[in-house]
Amino acid sequence: MPEYKGMVQPVRATPDEMRKIHIEPVPDEEKPQKALEYLDEIRKKFRSFVLAMESCTKCGQCAENCHTYLGTRDPNNIPTNRAELIRKIYRRYFTLEGRWFGKLVGAEDISLDIIEQWYSYFYQCSQCRRCAHVCPFGIDTCEVTFIGRQILHWLGITPKLHASVGAAMERVGNHTNLPKPGIVDTLEFMTEEIMDEFGVEVEFPVDKPESDIMYIPSSADFLLNPYTLMGAGMFFTYIGANWTIPSTVTEAGNFGLLFDQYYTQRHNVMRLLNAAQDLGVKKIVWGECGHGWRAAKMYIPSLADRPVRWPITHIHDEVADMIRKNELKLDPAKNSQPVTLHDPCNYVRACGLNENMRVIMRACVSDFREMEPHGMDNFCCGGGSGILFDDPEMYQRRIQLSQKKADQVRATGVGKNGDGILCAPCSICKAQLYPMVEEHELGVEVKGLIDLVGKALVWK
Amino acid sequence: MKLLIGQILPYITVTLFTLGILYRLGRWAGARIVHNITLSPWLKSNTEVAIRIGAEAFLFRNLFRFDLALWAGALLMHFALLNILGGHVVGFGFLGEQFAFIPGISPELSKEMSDLLGTVFGILLFVALLYLLYRRVALTPVKQVSNPSDILWLVYLLVLVGVGNIMRLFHAVHVEYEMVRDYILALILFQPVMHMELLDNVFFLTHYLLVQVLLILFPFSKLMHLFGMFAERWIVNRVYKDPAPGLPNVDVAAARRAGIGLPSGGAAEEGV
Repeated sequence: MPEYKGMVQPVRATPDEMRKIHIEPVPDEEKPQKALEYLDEIRKKFRSFVLAMESCTKCGQCAENCHTYLGTRDPNNIPTNRAELIRKIYRRYFTLEGRWFGKLVGAEDISLDIIEQWYSYFYQCSQCRRCAHVCPFGIDTCEVTFIGRQILHWLGITPKLHASVGAAMERVGNHTNLPKPGIVDTLEFMTEEIMDEFGVEVEFPVDKPESDIMYIPSSADFLLNPYTLMGAGMFFTYIGANWTIPSTVTEAGNFGLLFDQYYTQRHNVMRLLNAAQDLGVKKIVWGECGHGWRAAKMYIPSLADRPVRWPITHIHDEVADMIRKNELKLDPAKNSQPVTLHDPCNYVRACGLNENMRVIMRACVSDFREMEPHGMDNFCCGGGSGILFDDPEMYQRRIQLSQKKADQVRATGVGKNGDGILCAPCSICKAQLYPMVEEHELGVEVKGLIDLVGKALVWK
Repeated sequence: MKLLIGQILPYITVTLFTLGILYRLGRWAGARIVHNITLSPWLKSNTEVAIRIGAEAFLFRNLFRFDLALWAGALLMHFALLNILGGHVVGFGFLGEQFAFIPGISPELSKEMSDLLGTVFGILLFVALLYLLYRRVALTPVKQVSNPSDILWLVYLLVLVGVGNIMRLFHAVHVEYEMVRDYILALILFQPVMHMELLDNVFFLTHYLLVQVLLILFPFSKLMHLFGMFAERWIVNRVYKDPAPGLPNVDVAAARRAGIGLPSGGAAEEGV
């Protein structure tokens, strides 16, 4: 069902797939009523949501600042209108204004069509928070689509992609369904690769008891972005760290943040804390993953069901700290191609990684060019919040959503000779940009930031 | 009509306005800040937070950064409005002699300044509202986000301000500061006001009614963004301190001296 009354929609999980992630789908005729009940329950809980519902003055500033609207020009993709899809229901049932004045203030009765609208438009939102960043009040549409997706999930409407990721997280502890033997095999293969290509001996300890550091890689790094994981391995070896990768949580991401912040996200947090306790580690270091780093840094404190005894930092924080202290010998000449940096939205608007990425970049590459705008003002890659759908209709939409990013990359000129690098240190950005740099013919190769660190290390 | 608008409604207005705002604020406070959704780059101290929220509230920082035309229109509108509200208070309170508190300004000059400022800001407010209305009907994205009520509010304010301006600009319907002061005083002291000449002025009565309806609707409408803005900023602009970097039991210099990672045979010289 890729379309509903002219709206694009991602392929949805079957009822059986929903049951695997502990949701009993609500029959269609009960959906509107149930949606209201869930909305009523959740609105009383989240102030960020209440204020997004009740404070917007519709100044329109968010419109031209949203890559989704810029790419599609669909009025429902203007952030405040996207929120309005739920706001008109909220007004109708939960505000005096809406009950008294109805359509005049944009209040509307709930119906199945509205729920289908939610499904279409909340899964076109990248939850990049650029609208919150530019809003004069700081209203965060991301909080609205989080809750919209949560209600849809409880109704039994979740994209197949997200549901299967949720199931895989519970089964093996990562998004890609990679079991421990597969993990160990892949890591051994990486050891060989590093020896062949860089001539250094790097071991990837898995489940090593009494380790000091637990490294949480993105599971995509085992398959799609091997150089990121290899770079991390080289870094930890270079500094002589006593580190390990836990086989039970080989996932920096947490798709729960994106469709189910109750069970799915929380479950993965407990899994992580269990692993840290079992392995007796002293610190947890996070791999390259945008939404995952936000989920870890900002949500573990409020989701954990016990005191969190381990400081959690990002590998970029640690590398940048060592560069500042002059402890790493890096040769920028080893990365001599022109490089531009795509700032993952979650890093720069939700996690404060802005400057650290640049410290690393300047130390590791010789021709770094900023795109405009960059840092906290950056635009999303168009894949944010895991909207990496592959069915033909949604794939076309992904090309539209990445239009702004393509324009930005082209303007830097890094791909002019076809040998540029687009550094996008986030697994979702990478998964979106690998095909998109081809679609838009940008002449760049997509890489992570730790890839560049690994390559630039000078071993003696 | 005079009885309703001039004598009875004001007490109802004040009551509904106050209770309504308390209701809305209570509603917001009832929901919690569940997760930390502070926007980065981080603000490092409460002083920085105050400066940021102040810059957003009084200078419209974000509008300035991302949409200059909207910034100009919105700031002019709100700045003029703020001055007019203040002008109403001090003008009626001090009968136009408020500037005489500044040394060197005579009471007569002060009255003239008061008149001039009131007229100028009244016109500026009207023009700024017209511009905001123009945006709502002429600019595609703004049009696409507008509900009928968004446009109605602007029209409503234009009428309200327009009537106010008429009283300023046309001598025949002009209202003296004293008349309003005496009227307000009487209301506060719960004394009858029906005999007052002020209430025979149709323009005043219209202006006054529109203001009261506005105040009654205020707590239940988008106008609550006056408070919502601060409540929202309180969530997304907070102090955050990153956990300290530094890895346990790591000595890079020692590791490099020991040659960790280098193959013992030195077989792969060139790649290193």
